Amino acid sequence: MKLIDIYIQEVTRRLPEKSRDDIALELRSTIEDMLPEGYTEQDVKDALTELGDPAALAREYRDWPQHLIGPRYFEGYMTLLKLGLSFGAAIALIAYLAQQAAGFTGEEPFLRLLPAIMIGAAGSVIEAAMHVFFWTTLSFAIIERVDPIKDGQLCHQWSPDDLKDLPDRAKERKISKIEVYGGIFWTAVWAAGYFYADHLVGIYENKGNGLEFVTPIFNQDVLQLFWPVILVIIGMELALSLLKLYTAKWTIKLAAFNTLLQVTATIVLIIMMNHSSFFDSGFIVYMDKVFDYGWERWLINGSIFLFFLGAAYNIYDGFRKAKH
Amino acid sequence: MSTLLNSLMTELRRGTLTLAVLSQLQKPQYGYSLVRSLEEAGITIEQSTLYPLLRRLEKQQLVTSYWDTTESRPRKYYSLSSLGMEVYQQLKEEWLHNSKQLHDMLIEGGNEDETD
Repeated sequence: MKLIDIYIQEVTRRLPEKSRDDIALELRSTIEDMLPEGYTEQDVKDALTELGDPAALAREYRDWPQHLIGPRYFEGYMTLLKLGLSFGAAIALIAYLAQQAAGFTGEEPFLRLLPAIMIGAAGSVIEAAMHVFFWTTLSFAIIERVDPIKDGQLCHQWSPDDLKDLPDRAKERKISKIEVYGGIFWTAVWAAGYFYADHLVGIYENKGNGLEFVTPIFNQDVLQLFWPVILVIIGMELALSLLKLYTAKWTIKLAAFNTLLQVTATIVLIIMMNHSSFFDSGFIVYMDKVFDYGWERWLINGSIFLFFLGAAYNIYDGFRKAKH
Repeated sequence: MSTLLNSLMTELRRGTLTLAVLSQLQKPQYGYSLVRSLEEAGITIEQSTLYPLLRRLEKQQLVTSYWDTTESRPRKYYSLSSLGMEVYQQLKEEWLHNSKQLHDMLIEGGNEDETD
């Protein structure tokens, strides 16, 4: 009798509270049905053997999913996870660098701090990745259990016409994921460089005890004047990366959007560089010592020229790949 | 090989279990009496599969249940609901139709093998 009690407990303790009593009662009456009159302990053991492992029986009773994320949501989960991880890492990196830059006193040379900064950055990226992983997984596990599209009833019926809206993933037109995520990462890096240029971008010199930050190159106040339009460019770059991820190939629309981005960035750069106090005064003093008068014009025109060439090639390359 | 064969056979049988159980529930049965009547008909079903299956069928409203407490021990009786009866008839027709086709195909296929 004791064995039966424990067996039933082992089954029901794995089941939701509300169905426990009923299943326990039914199991007991079933087991008793299986036993002969005046049964022995061996008869009980035989009957329980026939019912099998209580854990397995409980598993059969439960209609709660026995997996965290099922096949229906797994693909979406992986896509969102990858996207979230790359964005999360980029944002964590910007936030960390910004925090470092804000607390940067200039007493210690930047390059000597570099190893510590890199370790700290890696740490915050890993922390962000863990957050993204946890919350994405949790959300999908909940969706799996709430299951708004049970048995695919609300699912859109597939038809061959759907294929028309999808990109052809032929190899030579494909944009690699590395390019997309690399693009997002690059946006994060230059954005951090822009907002903290007075701490990060400058002349470094070795004065015996490692590299020292001598002077910033740019006048942060002037750079800061342009923040709204820089934010627009950051947004456009991120949008371009997402579009690349979605279409997976260069299209005419994508190339046109890229053109708009490149032209905007070039115009902003030209306006910014031609501002009368674009360079930091310390940088001007430093350069005057090294170069003859007129270096400033040369540097500005040269930079604009190189940027222009890069943008032009970038635009051309987009259309070439789209038409290919 | 034999484990693969076993899992394929289990898979083959699994789909027919519901039909077998529904066929026996045209009159009310309790768990163990159902096991016995299935066994008599030559159908083996793990008891650990059968009892949870009955609860699922009840949840799907194909069967209804009631507790009979008049006898020496209380027993839970299951029987087909009207929806269950309807579904059973359709499943039965489908099965008879399919199994005849499959039977014909397998027998013909067998003959071809022999003549080759």
